[in-house]
Amino acid sequence: MSDAQILDRGYRRYDGGRSGVRGAVRSVVWHTTRSILGLGRKGRHKVFPVIVAAIAFVPALVFLAVTVLFGQAGEEIRPEYWEFFGFSLIASLLFTAFVAPEAIVRDRRDGMFALYLSTPLTKPTYLLAKAIATVGTLWLIIGAPVIMALIGYTAQSQGPDGFVGWIGVAVRLLVSGLLISAIYTAVSFAASSMTDRRAFASVAVILLMFGLSIAVNLIVDEGQMSEYLRLLDPLGAPLELPVRMFGDRSTEYESVGTWAVAAANAAWLLLPSGVVALRYRNLAAV
Amino acid sequence: MMRHDADVSVISTSGLTMQFGPQRALDALDVEVPHGITGLVGANGAGKTTLMSILLGLRRATSGTATVLGLDPTTQGPELRALVGYGPERNVLPEDMPASDFVKHLAEVRGLPPDEARGRASDALWLVGLGEERFRALGSMSTGQRQRVKLAQAIAADPRLIFLDEPTDGLDPVQRDEMLALIRQISAEYAIDVVLSSHLLEEVERICDNVVALDAGRLVAGGSLADLVGNDEGVVLELIEIADRPGAVDRVSATLVARGLEVRPLGIGMVEVIGPDVDLIADAVRDAVADHGARLGKVVRRRRRLEDLFHIAAEAPS
Repeated sequence: MSDAQILDRGYRRYDGGRSGVRGAVRSVVWHTTRSILGLGRKGRHKVFPVIVAAIAFVPALVFLAVTVLFGQAGEEIRPEYWEFFGFSLIASLLFTAFVAPEAIVRDRRDGMFALYLSTPLTKPTYLLAKAIATVGTLWLIIGAPVIMALIGYTAQSQGPDGFVGWIGVAVRLLVSGLLISAIYTAVSFAASSMTDRRAFASVAVILLMFGLSIAVNLIVDEGQMSEYLRLLDPLGAPLELPVRMFGDRSTEYESVGTWAVAAANAAWLLLPSGVVALRYRNLAAV
Repeated sequence: MMRHDADVSVISTSGLTMQFGPQRALDALDVEVPHGITGLVGANGAGKTTLMSILLGLRRATSGTATVLGLDPTTQGPELRALVGYGPERNVLPEDMPASDFVKHLAEVRGLPPDEARGRASDALWLVGLGEERFRALGSMSTGQRQRVKLAQAIAADPRLIFLDEPTDGLDPVQRDEMLALIRQISAEYAIDVVLSSHLLEEVERICDNVVALDAGRLVAGGSLADLVGNDEGVVLELIEIADRPGAVDRVSATLVARGLEVRPLGIGMVEVIGPDVDLIADAVRDAVADHGARLGKVVRRRRRLEDLFHIAAEAPS
């Protein structure tokens, strides 16, 4: 006799528990991450994230391959850990400009924003969920390659000395990767909050990050101006954070104090976040 | 299916006022909404959307208080919205998302565990008649199907109350009838209270138990539909002109006016005769028709409609 049964479900009451705001945030984080990466969507939505990820991981894979092939001999060309963040610069710029705006622009355009706010989410918790998803995904571009390199070097017995030393390096890489991701996300969200068109948001991000970066560095280099001006570069200034965390100074920021680097990056995180908060405070949901 | 506390109002407001700069969107609104289907009616700019956004806890009123399902939307917004569904007016939905994923995701955001959300999304889509279409992308669906998907997402998490903003917008007459029947079914069979915002008075009269009628932010009428509309003073006549008695219909109307009755034309051959005593009106109509040689097609008791409530409010001194 078969165990098969016909179950007549039909619409019915639900008396189980509800996960509240925390569950709502978790669900939006997961949904947004999938949406950004093009998962569960048509193939064309996956192409760009895959290209960006490939660009981000290629340098780390090359240096790992050199280590595997040449062992200790490859150490001369091996970059410092913090230098890996610079290798991800183009990929992270592409992601920040062309993929990250998807996280919030689309919701305003296709009505999801109003629907989200009719759930336990509020504007702050909605933005928090979107930020967590975007920072997390951006970290895969910015932070994951260097973590992969650290693990690879360790597997080849060329990682940091001792367990405590290893944890120290890993934590600094993790934290600086998250900080850079958070700053880029804040800038991307600030530009994206101003328009309902993703293309306009992308142009705004490019102008703000890449345009300002070129302008600032030209002024400093060609005009013999103070290196402190480089802190106005939203693309480059966050990359100085891991350098300082490893007790070093990059040549471009040689004369800039660590407190100034920290303050400028705090400003690059908080000011765009303030713009987003202000914009969404005035945005009618229903 | 009972799950109401019959004594508790679904929505209650007291002196609810919303001021946008110099413009008063809601003016000291006192409303008690009982269980069932409630029509929130009024022209564009009457304050319907503002009231809904306050009741959902998305706006803070300038003054006054409101409770929805016994909760204060201002301080308990997230708790309240976990028990409420909402179907927006806009027909724009994520184009490339399958209907089942869309409904499931919103059920999860409203607090259901993923497995439960998946099952209930499917059940809700079957209930609204989209069971076979549930894996289709929203962008490939017709306006009628999108309206059904919006209803499905509003009910998927088993809310106690749903707000539907113009749920028949863009539908043809047949689709509109089906949507109204569906809303009626959801309220009756699953004891889900419904607040239906609409500018179409006719559809509110068809399915609502209660009405909140707004005009320029003020309450025009509120309460049970049965109490607000129904038999009224006067009769409605259909007068047919006979070929050899030209002008007879106009003369009938003139005679009724001369006898102190109010006569309002309603269309070709249709007039409304208003007066306090229906028997006296009937006698006057009979005599006038006989005197002038018109033919009487139909005589029915005049009914007060929702539209009349707005006329009364417009004519009343402010």
